Amino acid sequence: MANPVQADRPAATPDRPGRRPRPGFGRRDSIVGWLLIAPALVYFVAFLLYPAVAALYYSFTDWNLRSSPSWVGLANYTDLLFDDVKYPHFWKSVQVSLMYTVVAVPLTLVAALGQALLVNAIRKGSNLFRLLLFLPVVTAEAAVGAIWRWLYDPQYGLINVILGWFGVPPQNWLNNPDLVIPALAFIAAWQCGISMIIYLAGLKGIPLSLREAAIIDGAGPVQRFRKIIMPMLRPTTFYLLVTGVIAALQVFGLVYVIFSAANKSVTGGPEQAGLTYVLHLYLFAFRYDAMGAACAMSFILLVFIMIITALQFKFVKQEAA
Amino acid sequence: MRNVRLAPIYIALILLAAISVVPFIWMLATSFKHGHDVYTKVPSLLPLDRKTGEWAPTLENYEYVFDLRGLGTAFLNSVWVCLILIPAKLLIDALAAYAFARIPFPGRDKLFVLMLGGMMVPTITLLVPRVFVTQELGLFDSQWGLIVPNIASVLDIFLLRQFFMSLPGELEEAARIDGAGRIQIFWRIIVPLSKPVLSVVTITSFIFHWNDLVWPLVVLNDPEKYTLPLALQQLATAEAGRSYYIMAGAAVAVIPVIAVLLVFQRRILQGIAFSGLKS
Repeated sequence: MANPVQADRPAATPDRPGRRPRPGFGRRDSIVGWLLIAPALVYFVAFLLYPAVAALYYSFTDWNLRSSPSWVGLANYTDLLFDDVKYPHFWKSVQVSLMYTVVAVPLTLVAALGQALLVNAIRKGSNLFRLLLFLPVVTAEAAVGAIWRWLYDPQYGLINVILGWFGVPPQNWLNNPDLVIPALAFIAAWQCGISMIIYLAGLKGIPLSLREAAIIDGAGPVQRFRKIIMPMLRPTTFYLLVTGVIAALQVFGLVYVIFSAANKSVTGGPEQAGLTYVLHLYLFAFRYDAMGAACAMSFILLVFIMIITALQFKFVKQEAA
Repeated sequence: MRNVRLAPIYIALILLAAISVVPFIWMLATSFKHGHDVYTKVPSLLPLDRKTGEWAPTLENYEYVFDLRGLGTAFLNSVWVCLILIPAKLLIDALAAYAFARIPFPGRDKLFVLMLGGMMVPTITLLVPRVFVTQELGLFDSQWGLIVPNIASVLDIFLLRQFFMSLPGELEEAARIDGAGRIQIFWRIIVPLSKPVLSVVTITSFIFHWNDLVWPLVVLNDPEKYTLPLALQQLATAEAGRSYYIMAGAAVAVIPVIAVLLVFQRRILQGIAFSGLKS
């Protein structure tokens, strides 16, 4: 990982005798520098720094849009974690998000790696396949949700028809609590194109000499995959795992679209089987008008993500072997 | 011999590509079908008449969603927001990145690290107070509320800075000796040399903001101001069960982005590999 702080300071050009000294260059640089950064800095303060601090403050308050925030200390946190009368679905939403992450992230990585290996193995048409496999990534969540609701339609959807060819009876994918997570994870794997591209770049980075040496030593494709490709791809896999977990724990837009109903109520699917943590958070903030609790939820998530990420850095092998 | 070995790979790839693409074909087919041709026992990937099996496409679903379901207005709203937002964002990000990369001033690197740190905070944590700030600025329920709170991106500043730092410094030194100012150097030297990375940032920004659902969802109330994803979402709930309308709406949202992907595919895919590996 490159250290982003190592800026290349242009070496100061010494003022040689006989040349006109440049007046006050350093000071002018300071002014120009701050001026150029100013718009981005204003954005940063107004829409990143201040909101982060404000969210932390609000998380200790009782706040809705009609009243001004009143300090309640840790009450939001303790109520969310322990008061299952006031927040009956909090732990359910934690469970849904964890389940989704545990199913969707490995599935996405396997799909991405498989696709990358296949695309990497061919010459003719590799650009075309790469492009086709990438299409789902650039598709808007709203459209993805709409398309997949139609694909998963229990009566007329394409999925059930195709499964029917293999003798699988039709399933009510998005209305059966047991099938909601697999159905959502399949959509995530369908959109694995970014990971596929990054894996491809990783594969291209494996020195050809290594593979050739393995072939000369008589290693078969399975052995080459296990002994060379997987270890060499470890940094890529680690990166995709960490970022994938962070993204999966925050999944929201797609479940919002999929489980919106005509009467404008979003409940998170059958028996809350699709009530992800962030969907729950959104409902508290923008439907139930409980901003303080929503901010507390967002900090619980932030701490949780930090812990999970730290654990991965500690316990998952990340260096290429 | 080699062809025989490659055959299973091609077969697997064709299958995977089909999984990738068939949902879009299904979307298009449904969107061109007459309502009474949609709900058939054996689904068809072509707009065929359910009784005669003849080719029977129609544009009436598109006309309906454009005129009566506000997709036309939403399309223009989306275009308008992107036309203002993307160039402004690109300019702000590039100028800041240039200063971070090339202009030494006290406190610069500390500020940069602070901004990078801010990037680690999940957007969802910032959502509620961001809406509050937007409200305080009087931008709630307006398209400026979509533009101003997204007017810069720390990630893009980071990517641009990394690229600017990789450019050779000699040209700038020469220009400086000739008396060019920082801004002149930026426009005459840095920008022309950075076209590839600038276009990557532009395209990915466009895709992101064109598709964005969450921010418009929390900032807009007035359906007249909806952008495409929001209008599509509205359509999908209001017309639930009439998938031919919904699929026409989805196609309107999807096709411009796919067109951009087809035109700029090489840039986009390279950019993803680049930004993914850098971060």
